[in-house]
Amino acid sequence: MNKLTLVLIVFALPLICLAQAPREIVNEVQTRSHASSEQYEGLLQVVDSGGKISDKRWTYVRIGSHGNSKAVIRFLNPPEVKGVALLIFNNPDRASDQWMWTPALNRDRRIALQDRSTRFFGTDFSFEDLEERDVDHFEFSSKGEESLNGEECWKIESKPLASQRSQYTTSILWIRKSNYTYAQIENYTGAKLVRRLKYKDVQNVQGIWTARTLEMEDVTRKSRTILKLDSLKYNTPVRSEEFTLQALRRG
Amino acid sequence: MAAHHWRPLPGAAVLWAATLAASLLPWAVEAQTFSQQGYLETQLRAYPQTAPNDSGQFIGDALLHWEPTIKRSAWRLNAGFDARFDSHRMVERTPDVSYWDRETQRPAFDVSRLSVSWARGPLTIELGKQFVRWGKADILNPTDRFTPKDYLTVLDPNVLAVTAAHVTIAGQSDSVDLVYTPRLTPSRSPLLNQRWVVLPETVRGYLLQDGGAAYPGGPQFGARWNHMSRRVEYSFSYFHGFNHLPLFQANFDPVLGAVDVRRRYAELDTIGSDAAIPLPWFTIKAESAWYRSNDRQSDQYVLYVVQAERQFGEWLFLAGYVGEYITDNRNEISFDPERGLAKAFVGRISWTIDTRRSLVFEGAVRQNSEGFYGKLEYSQLFGQHWHVTPGVVLIRGSENDFLGQFHRNSFANCAIRYSF
Repeated sequence: MNKLTLVLIVFALPLICLAQAPREIVNEVQTRSHASSEQYEGLLQVVDSGGKISDKRWTYVRIGSHGNSKAVIRFLNPPEVKGVALLIFNNPDRASDQWMWTPALNRDRRIALQDRSTRFFGTDFSFEDLEERDVDHFEFSSKGEESLNGEECWKIESKPLASQRSQYTTSILWIRKSNYTYAQIENYTGAKLVRRLKYKDVQNVQGIWTARTLEMEDVTRKSRTILKLDSLKYNTPVRSEEFTLQALRRG
Repeated sequence: MAAHHWRPLPGAAVLWAATLAASLLPWAVEAQTFSQQGYLETQLRAYPQTAPNDSGQFIGDALLHWEPTIKRSAWRLNAGFDARFDSHRMVERTPDVSYWDRETQRPAFDVSRLSVSWARGPLTIELGKQFVRWGKADILNPTDRFTPKDYLTVLDPNVLAVTAAHVTIAGQSDSVDLVYTPRLTPSRSPLLNQRWVVLPETVRGYLLQDGGAAYPGGPQFGARWNHMSRRVEYSFSYFHGFNHLPLFQANFDPVLGAVDVRRRYAELDTIGSDAAIPLPWFTIKAESAWYRSNDRQSDQYVLYVVQAERQFGEWLFLAGYVGEYITDNRNEISFDPERGLAKAFVGRISWTIDTRRSLVFEGAVRQNSEGFYGKLEYSQLFGQHWHVTPGVVLIRGSENDFLGQFHRNSFANCAIRYSF
């Protein structure tokens, strides 16, 4: 080893240490967005391939820590789907458990694992997209850095662990360096891009940087769903008994 | 057993109900907990063929359904009201309001639901007219004993609510349901003078008269334990009460040359179980119940359903078999569309074309090929409120088969719904 190499190593070492591993970055995103509870009213605009727009509205309530939480989504509008609800148990060690309540039938139905790729009630979100992605469920590798819409981002590839079942084989994550929030996620099945999720309108809400607008694009169908988060609140008191099948049926 | 004809609530009850609703409204609005939804639906049905006892081929039907809900802390008031009219006298033409759903025709005005519930922690108590649904299968639910139905058009029944006290204790993985109903709510069976009653050749020359119903006087009770785990969900249930589907007694009057047909409802005990098992490639659902009765005319049997379902993107495939094992055949004469589906392969394919359109095919074919039923239905949403659903139903088979006997009742249908 010559002197020049040694000098380069000595000067580069702090920089190497400063560069975070991709898993740490994703973990930091998760840590910074931690809240014991979350609730919002979501306004959804579904834009089909022909440009037709249909509006939907739902309420979202979550309790528990990231990756080990429970959530309820309940439609408020349009009248056709009012009252339809989804209960999600996000599990730390496996895929989530989900149940859907359809008031017109007075029946609930467990969403089977193989059904998770299905679109959720006419939106471009699949059932799987509504569950939380815990850092421990994936392996990560760095794809470098990239500027997205003028913002410096880390570009990270994530693959579900062999023990996890997912419709996506690979996801590419863009994470903003400025505030450790997601800027975009592209989901692939094999080499084919299936869905693209954009995180926009980032605001600081109760100390948590949050994208107030999410845009999910179904690349195959050429349709997209824009979800705007209204009345967003973190860490408000939420009763755990609201996250049971019985509560789902009660409405 | 008390025999009587049910008298609907008098028209004055409408005034009483309106007064009550008006008095509750300010309280509800003040608490900001009032919500409502409903729809107005009109439907036109066309039968290409006449039936021996029914020459009507075009039937129009209109239904206004309104569901107000009032929530206040742990309390909740759920209500549902129906107003109907039709062109074929399946709906009564009197302005009375029905609560108990014991009329032979559909009531023109109906309290379809009216219950108060209270929930705290794992405990929920609901009192009043409500829907109690048991079972996990999608095709048929042998354990679902608190769910009478309106079978006036047999193949597309509507669920009726029951007046009950319903207690649920639910944990994260286990729940127990206890249900008590003070009196039977019967299923509504097809009208004698209409096409969904197919008369045997031997009585076709005679006048058939509705001899009313003999309703049992006692209460009903049921209990169900449900367990959810990662790999399987299952439940066991017990029911003691009466079959909401009728047995028939026919008395011939030689002077009038008429046959008087009377309905009665046999005592019934059922022991049931159901399970849903999500497997990597499809989900298996199974449900069975053992029907036991002390009634000398009522069969004893086990009714079961096994089905598999699988979703591929926007396609849902469901296939199954409905079976029956008779433990004691007592040659009952009854109207029982649940057993009528036994020994048949059933299936459903649905395709969500896009956010506004869907297509559903469902069918049943008897294992001995004597009966077939198939339905194709297209549904399209216009704007945020309008929904149009045209469809066709094809029925084929022999006169001796429950499905096949309706072979003259194939129809085309179009429903237009405005939801609010």
